[in-house]
Amino acid sequence: MKKQHKKKMHKDEVIVAYICLIPSIIGLIFLTYVPLAAVLGLSLTKWEGVGTPEWVGLANYVKLFTTDPYFVDSIKVTIYFSLIAVMGSMVYSLAVALLLNRKIPARGFFRAVFYLPYVLPAMAVYIGWSWLYEANFGLFNYVLSLLGIHKLKFIASSELVVPSLALIAVWLSGNLIVIFLAGLQNVPRVYHEAAEIDGANAWQKFTNVTIPCMTPIIFYNLLMALITNMQVVTPALALTQGGPGNSSRFISYVMYQYAFKSGKFSYACAISFVSFLLIGVFTVILFATSKSWIFYEGGDD
Amino acid sequence: MKKYKKVISTVLGLAMVFSLTACGNTQTGTTAQTTETNTTEPAAQPTTEANTEQGSGDEIHISYSYWGTPDEAASVQEVADKYHEENPGIVVDIVCIPNEEYVTKLNTMAAANELPDCGIMSEAGVLDFGSKGLLADISDMYAGADAAPLDCITFKADGKPVAYSAANEVLVLYYNKDLFDAANVPYPSATEAMSWNEFVDTAKKLTIDVNGKNAGEEGFDPENIVQYGCTVDNWTWQLEVWALSNGGRWFSEDGKTCTINTPEVAESIQKVADLMNIEHVMPYRAGLTDDGVQSTICAGNIAMSTGGAWNIGTCLNGVDFNYGVARLPQMKNSVTICTGGPQVVFSQSKHPAEAMEFIKWYMKEENSWDSLIATGIWMPILEKYYTDEALTNSWIDNENFPEHEECVGALVDYAMNNAQSTCWYYTPHTNEFIELLRGVLGDVWTGDATAEDVLKDNYDALNAVFLGE
Repeated sequence: MKKQHKKKMHKDEVIVAYICLIPSIIGLIFLTYVPLAAVLGLSLTKWEGVGTPEWVGLANYVKLFTTDPYFVDSIKVTIYFSLIAVMGSMVYSLAVALLLNRKIPARGFFRAVFYLPYVLPAMAVYIGWSWLYEANFGLFNYVLSLLGIHKLKFIASSELVVPSLALIAVWLSGNLIVIFLAGLQNVPRVYHEAAEIDGANAWQKFTNVTIPCMTPIIFYNLLMALITNMQVVTPALALTQGGPGNSSRFISYVMYQYAFKSGKFSYACAISFVSFLLIGVFTVILFATSKSWIFYEGGDD
Repeated sequence: MKKYKKVISTVLGLAMVFSLTACGNTQTGTTAQTTETNTTEPAAQPTTEANTEQGSGDEIHISYSYWGTPDEAASVQEVADKYHEENPGIVVDIVCIPNEEYVTKLNTMAAANELPDCGIMSEAGVLDFGSKGLLADISDMYAGADAAPLDCITFKADGKPVAYSAANEVLVLYYNKDLFDAANVPYPSATEAMSWNEFVDTAKKLTIDVNGKNAGEEGFDPENIVQYGCTVDNWTWQLEVWALSNGGRWFSEDGKTCTINTPEVAESIQKVADLMNIEHVMPYRAGLTDDGVQSTICAGNIAMSTGGAWNIGTCLNGVDFNYGVARLPQMKNSVTICTGGPQVVFSQSKHPAEAMEFIKWYMKEENSWDSLIATGIWMPILEKYYTDEALTNSWIDNENFPEHEECVGALVDYAMNNAQSTCWYYTPHTNEFIELLRGVLGDVWTGDATAEDVLKDNYDALNAVFLGE
């Protein structure tokens, strides 16, 4: 009798749970899955914004990987940028977070200073950086010429443009610092104390205690940074127009260019679908390797 | 406990039912609305019916899109209000869109079937919009009129006019008279174009390093230049003028063949790149931004700069040095290119006839005189302003323009006798073509590749874009 009652309770809970989920599922379906399906559907047609879409099968995808003058390069550039920006911002923000986690004077002030770039308006940030990077009279080149070093073209050079833009992305990664800080404060002090009693030095404590405890946070930040940087478009729009040459023509920029500058919406849909798959593949790889290096304190729940 | 849960589930259930009905309601609402518009639409089409509608107190609203800042939009709205005074039945609403995203926005509006009735249009998008059927036929706009716009600023598809530019603009050479005086170098001529070699030599005399030596002198330090002799704007579409100047063409005259791989074109682009990489008389420009005059001659440390006639009104009026205007240097021919955004009627308009009347009225010089022509932003479109001296003087003799003789030589006569149409007047897909060309030329500006090589290597891709594939 009691057991039956418990079963009924459970069933009630399930019903309530599903009812509560309905709004978010509706949102997910209409704001995510239906548009995604529509993008896939449109990408198989020829549609330039007006008239009715005309079915062309995989022609858009074939064209992307064979004759398109931008697309294959844009994949390479995007991956190159993402690698530098993700690695750079992970190392930079973990380092800054470690420093800010110490008992230093004016800690609150410095936390605000490092977080500030993240909340500044993007256009203002990029215009400011464009003055620093300017090829003839910019501040960086002024400093270089004072030091007697050959002037560099920075964002105006096809070799340096991606590292230069990645540097801005690293500087902008204040949100990662905040998450790392929160993670660092959750590393149990007892482990550090135990390691100290065992005679571990600071580096050993860092590699053997802090890092393993931080792996879930590192994983989360890595994933977020990867997804954000794979979708990079603002620096290309604000600073480089995809150039010089095609050296900063990121996937999202090519998509924007086709969809909104040329009105080739269905072709742009194909690009965004490939971009989606690409990010998906990287995410899956990251998840697949995660089991081998993430340490969850609470066991394997 | 159980009762409590029951209450919650009932409430949630009710909420759900309510939201569903709410959905249903809006849906019936929209259907009702659509039927409503459907009934009014055919009624609005025959003019007589539209007039009765207007007689019953309704005015016809036509929307006019314009690029520019909200300030500029306010002055355009004043002109539109004047039209309303003259034509009480018609109200013109201004849709203001920032210039850099103008076509982007129109493309999106076209996809949503929400284009304005009429508007100014980006030059490079005109024939493209036309070929998609987004422009209404206005070919009879000047039928029977005594004065037509200059032929070189008429957009043509298969020889038939599809749009008329609202302004005429040519590329010219601006120079900083103070810097010329300081170096004791004679001014460039407004009536005779100098040869390319003379131009380079003049620029060398005006390029000065940190030790005060110019680029022609022994011991000149190209790493520490404080003043440059010239900028030839390499913002991509403007490069077409150098191809024409060098006896080449980007496209055949009928707009059907892409001839950008010819030696004359490659040489014309290479000569511009050499100004930076070999002669060191021009500051490095990646050719990616449309700020040629603002970031060069207006900054005060560059002696000569190519730019558009519109720059007289958009930035040169604010400089604190004396400037002059001259003809572009010539490689083989003395030539400039002309362009100007046209006023068009979009085919999605419900009132195409009224919209065409409005833009025809709006394009009359007197309606944009104070805000655009007298300030030096637009040049007139009708031939009589170039040939009739009294009309010419009424236009250029005001404080916004450089000296009279310079304007006559380098603006009026130059535009009348030496100007050729920019490619977007006679061939579509120029938007995509110029975008690709901009990317292709990146390595030429840095000096990592020659113009000849990149144009040869990328000809197939350029040609495919040109053909709209």
